[in-house]
Amino acid sequence: MTTTRIACLYVTMFPLAARLRSEPELLSEAVAIVEGNGSAAHVVAATRRARTKGIRPGLTLAQARSLVPKLIARGRDVECERTAQEALLEVAESFSPRVEDAGDGIVFIDVSGMERHFASEKDLGEAAIRDAADIGLPARFGLAASKLAARVAAELPKSPTIVEPGGEAEFLAPLPLARLTPELDAASTLQRWGITSIGELARLPESELAARLGELGRELHYAARGIDPRPLIPRALPPEFREGMELEWPLVALEPFLFIASAALDRLSKRMEIQGFACKRLELTMTLEPDGYHARAIDLPAPTRDTKTMLTLLRLDLEKTPPGAPVIGFTIVAHPDRPRRAQLSLFGPAALSPEKLATTIARLVSMLGDDRVGMPMAVDTHIPDRYAIGTFAPPPPPDLRRGPRKSRGLLAARIFRPPVAVEVITRPSRENEPGEFQIASIQGEGDIAGDVRTSAGPWQLTAEWWNPSPVDREYWDVELMKGKSYRVYREETPEGWYVDAGYD
Amino acid sequence: MSATAHSLDFQFPLLDRKAGVSPAISGGRDARPPLEREDLARLRATLAGTAAAKMTNGAELIRALDKARREESIPTTLAPFDALLGGGLPRGKMVELTGRRGAGRFSIVMAALAAATSMGEAAVLIDLGDHLDPWSAEAAGVDLRRVLWIRPQTLKQAVMSTEMITATGFQLVVLDTGTHPMRGRRVPDASWVRLGRSAEAHGAAMLVSTPYPLTGTASEAVVTAGRSRMKWLGRGKSPHVLAGVTLELTLEKHRHRKPGEHTSLSLELLP
Repeated sequence: MTTTRIACLYVTMFPLAARLRSEPELLSEAVAIVEGNGSAAHVVAATRRARTKGIRPGLTLAQARSLVPKLIARGRDVECERTAQEALLEVAESFSPRVEDAGDGIVFIDVSGMERHFASEKDLGEAAIRDAADIGLPARFGLAASKLAARVAAELPKSPTIVEPGGEAEFLAPLPLARLTPELDAASTLQRWGITSIGELARLPESELAARLGELGRELHYAARGIDPRPLIPRALPPEFREGMELEWPLVALEPFLFIASAALDRLSKRMEIQGFACKRLELTMTLEPDGYHARAIDLPAPTRDTKTMLTLLRLDLEKTPPGAPVIGFTIVAHPDRPRRAQLSLFGPAALSPEKLATTIARLVSMLGDDRVGMPMAVDTHIPDRYAIGTFAPPPPPDLRRGPRKSRGLLAARIFRPPVAVEVITRPSRENEPGEFQIASIQGEGDIAGDVRTSAGPWQLTAEWWNPSPVDREYWDVELMKGKSYRVYREETPEGWYVDAGYD
Repeated sequence: MSATAHSLDFQFPLLDRKAGVSPAISGGRDARPPLEREDLARLRATLAGTAAAKMTNGAELIRALDKARREESIPTTLAPFDALLGGGLPRGKMVELTGRRGAGRFSIVMAALAAATSMGEAAVLIDLGDHLDPWSAEAAGVDLRRVLWIRPQTLKQAVMSTEMITATGFQLVVLDTGTHPMRGRRVPDASWVRLGRSAEAHGAAMLVSTPYPLTGTASEAVVTAGRSRMKWLGRGKSPHVLAGVTLELTLEKHRHRKPGEHTSLSLELLP
């Protein structure tokens, strides 16, 4: 039977780490994260540069400013912390599907049975730390048989810390009581008893401790012996990926907003890559000043993780319909989809890389518009020039190369969209000509003008009689003296005659 | 392709030269499915004896396949046009087809798309003039499911789209710049050189159909579609029907063939 092994990823000073993930340029500055407003504002975390100058958690903002006048103070950003926690969970999920969200930069991972995938548990820990660093979170790693021991191990500065199976009590014994649970109500009582380390607590008789401290005493004794009966509660996979932040000051121009959005999209893209997803739909919600929201959704032509493409689509959409008020916060939600996969053939025609194709199509759509790129589709109608555009998803190429089918050698018609209105001069048919009249000349724009050498028609076309404006046309084929030939039709409109195609 | 070849190295055992065994997919000759065996045999037959002897592992096999593929052409199956180009549209090269309105350029474009898609290749049509009629394209034999239709609005967009899409791996890239006057201003000559290099880098057959010469020295060959003669059915009092057209094609330039060759091509109108 496999021994239960639980790993813990722990991000120290999580509010600060989450903020720096969104604003990495602040990493080398003296920055403090504060909580509360006005005179109640106090520091909860600070960067190394600020800490070396004496900034400690618990100081009021005024005290901190007196120590470091140029201190950059940032409020706690719930959105940043939430997305950072999500990102940390996704890193954990890249190792094991059984992951528990313990909140505030703590994630438990059930890594039982993973010893075959890594040379050692230390390697596993180093890989997890590396992956967390890749998404901008400085994480520590602890591995033990219980959640409690794993968390305590992860909180130690030396990382990764591996607690051998069965060695939990021994590992915890020399550590101070505060490591067991930072907010210990009975801490003062235990201090009066002269108990300072976890090991000393573990050595006390369980029944005596329970008699004096109640149920809490029993639980503490269990914890001190490294026994944690709480099971790991795996979380369900999120149906979407979310990134966002609250801004320090309102943005009124597009470029600065796109600069921040680009970083958020980049983070989204990395998170989706970890899970093997690509983005199919983007939803952007902007918080406006003084109040209100502006939300929009962009459907991507194909699942992609290309940040540049997503940003271009976002830019085009924002340019088309600006929010109309300064932006003080935003959230981007990416709806994931599986990227298209294809098995490339050695012997058949070269297949397209679905990922590359999706990205290129998305970029083309962002440049040209969504109705200008796709698969051409014939529409079931008798009216010429009708068409539809579908999603380009070619069938897989054949396994073996095959020769081309012989061409029918057909004369193609170039459709003019929209049809060109022309002036047509007719003449009565001569004795050796069919019909009542013939087209003598046409006068339109550009090359579509001149005397007619031969004309043929009319071919009657009546369609969609059930519509309020049915199609009722008479088609002619004409060849001009200059050698060009066109398809001309007459309709009951003020303009009357149109050229809708040229034979080419 | 080379990256793929390297990553597949381990899948193919080295050739046992002493035993005189041919290159084999791992698992031995008998374990190979008939599909691979047949193609390997065909590949060896297409390679020169000395080249086949040098083929010792999977990476070389893949490289040889790629090289053989690049030396092929995509025929349009319009015999006179293919004959002018020495077999069709060469892969990895840019061919320019020029001609005024009504000279039959669009029909040749349709034939090229029909031929490529019937071979199972994916093709792209960059249609600057927005002239494609899907119904008649389908009638001409084009498998629309394998065609990506891009409708730029300026020549600059068309060239940019062509460059982007060529890098995706389409084997036939057709840029039709429409009729005179073209939409948008001219693009620098360097753009065409870049397109030519892109076609070469990705092994795509590129056909540029324009009303007047644009690509300059970047193209492998230039074919001009000249005067066309319409064919009509019906005389006298009987109704006249447009039946087709006969085109004059001239090879204006070719890097490996003598230019100045003429031929005529007959096309019929779908009744």
